[in-house]
Amino acid sequence: MSATTPVIELDMISKRFGGLVVLKDISMSVGPGEIVGLIGPNGAGKSTLFNVITALYAPEQGEVRFKGRRLTGTRPHNICRLGIARTFQLVRTFLSLTARENVLVGAVYGRGSRGGNVNAIADEALAMVGLTQQQHIVTEHMTLSARRLLEIARALACQPSLLLLDEPMAGLNESEIERMVEVIKRARGERGLSILWVEHKVDAIMKICDRVVVIDHGEKISDGTPAETVSNTKVIEAYLGEPIA
Amino acid sequence: MRERITVYLGGVVVLGLAMVPFVPGAPDSYLFYFLFLFFLHTAIAQSWNLVAGFTGQISLGQHAFFGLGAYTTALIWQRQLFGESYGYYFDPLVLILSGLVAGIFALMVGFPLLAKLRGDYFALGTLGFGEIIRVAFVKGGQFTGGPFGIIMPSSVYETLRPHYWVGLALAGGLTYMIHRIRRSHFGLALISVRDDELAASSHGIDILKYKLIAFALGAVFTGIAGSLYGHYLFHVSPDGFLNLNWTLYPILMAVIGGSGTVLGPVVGAFAMTAVFTLASVSYPEIHPIFSGAVIILVMLFMPNGIMRLAKR
Ligand SMILES: Nc1ncnc2c1ncn2[C@@H]1O[C@H](COP(=O)(O)OP(=O)(O)OP(=O)(O)O)[C@@H](O)[C@H]1O
Ligand SMILES: [Mg+2]
Repeated sequence: MSATTPVIELDMISKRFGGLVVLKDISMSVGPGEIVGLIGPNGAGKSTLFNVITALYAPEQGEVRFKGRRLTGTRPHNICRLGIARTFQLVRTFLSLTARENVLVGAVYGRGSRGGNVNAIADEALAMVGLTQQQHIVTEHMTLSARRLLEIARALACQPSLLLLDEPMAGLNESEIERMVEVIKRARGERGLSILWVEHKVDAIMKICDRVVVIDHGEKISDGTPAETVSNTKVIEAYLGEPIA
Repeated sequence: MRERITVYLGGVVVLGLAMVPFVPGAPDSYLFYFLFLFFLHTAIAQSWNLVAGFTGQISLGQHAFFGLGAYTTALIWQRQLFGESYGYYFDPLVLILSGLVAGIFALMVGFPLLAKLRGDYFALGTLGFGEIIRVAFVKGGQFTGGPFGIIMPSSVYETLRPHYWVGLALAGGLTYMIHRIRRSHFGLALISVRDDELAASSHGIDILKYKLIAFALGAVFTGIAGSLYGHYLFHVSPDGFLNLNWTLYPILMAVIGGSGTVLGPVVGAFAMTAVFTLASVSYPEIHPIFSGAVIILVMLFMPNGIMRLAKR
């Protein structure tokens, strides 16, 4: 693997649900240590793209490569063990487990052959998102924002090289959003992970991301730096002329 | 801390119960028989609890495993598989083999069912499996003894003591095992599968593998319980063993006590064994009505089971 091999590479991915084409010939990549924003209107296909990467859906066409290795046919749990961890748009924590137990699931089962002490890894992941104090609370009793942070901690405990975040800020208030931004920055800064980040809070994306990919109706319409993205006419059209930054 | 005290107390209670057969006259009392039934019920309720309460897979085919365990014992014994002079009565090997046969069936049928079916459909699939097994044994001709079943030589019976001890060991051991599982990494995998399959698989858990292990473990212990009950009746038949009651009882007991908890099924088994016994002894004419009324009342007032109520 050369220094320039992308961590994740999508090559002409298409995904249909019955007659509905949700993704059409999508090619894109995320490089080592890069943080890439993925934006697009509702129903554009962003979450579907995540589900294709994590093998929850099989694409009709195209292939996904992780560190140069084809992922076709890999089962979801092995995707995680290889080093791709994710969060969900509609939070999916294990509600009857405590925060710590949630993170332990990632630390115990999600790391594949990456070594290390399970408890230390869980401690570190909880500390990274600032949930150490709440670690013994049963998740059912936690707030939405705490659960979103917990999902990130659980994903980090898998010690991934690629982190997929699906709208981690949805439903959070201003101060919670600030905290989330700090957590994402820290995750990248301290771990050097690559991040692919879906978000409707476009200003946050523009501030933090190295690169932004825009999809609309399942097609990629833009791929470039935040500055290039905001001046792209296709992007402006997709957002119906709304000022996006 | 509180948990350690509970385990310690549990150990003391089991030890105390293990001494009961030494009390003069005890093995002949009705209470002794009641305790034996309680242990048997605890074992099957805990088995279901492991599969449904902890792993979230509602099995309606437990009676098949109960029957398979009993029939394995009966067939080994009747055909004298280990020779004529072998002691089959309460032979540990026979008991374990009975559990294993049930477990192997669980793996064979569980693999396609768990891989393809989810939720209600899995439940119906297991129900179908139970029915197939029942019909297969009814129609099994000479081999299974047909609708009449298989008789074992009851002349070996002396007292209920061995049944009592084996039942206690099974119920106590299984409950302790579930306690340990609840605190283990294995338990984390089971509970995460129950709470959210998609999230579990996205965090490295091979969900099919853990569902299968839980289903097979539940079948093994249910099979041993079936064998134990066969040792008591000396007559293994479709009506007695492949009866849907052996699926409904454990569900009832686990749910009423609190499924997904460690002690719930024990409490539920005790409560329901008491209700059934009381009803059949005191009000034999209205037994099902009485039991049914109690069940409805418990579900109305303790929707999460007795153990969950105690926690609040
Ligand atoms: N399992 C599915 N079956 C059928 N259609 C689906 C399925 N999943 C998604 N879709 C459809 O695919 C399209 C894209 O959905 P997707 O969730 O990927 O969009 P999104 O970009 O994440 O949108 P949002 O910003 O609202 O989260 C939508 O029209 C959706 O209805
Ligand atoms: Mg989405």
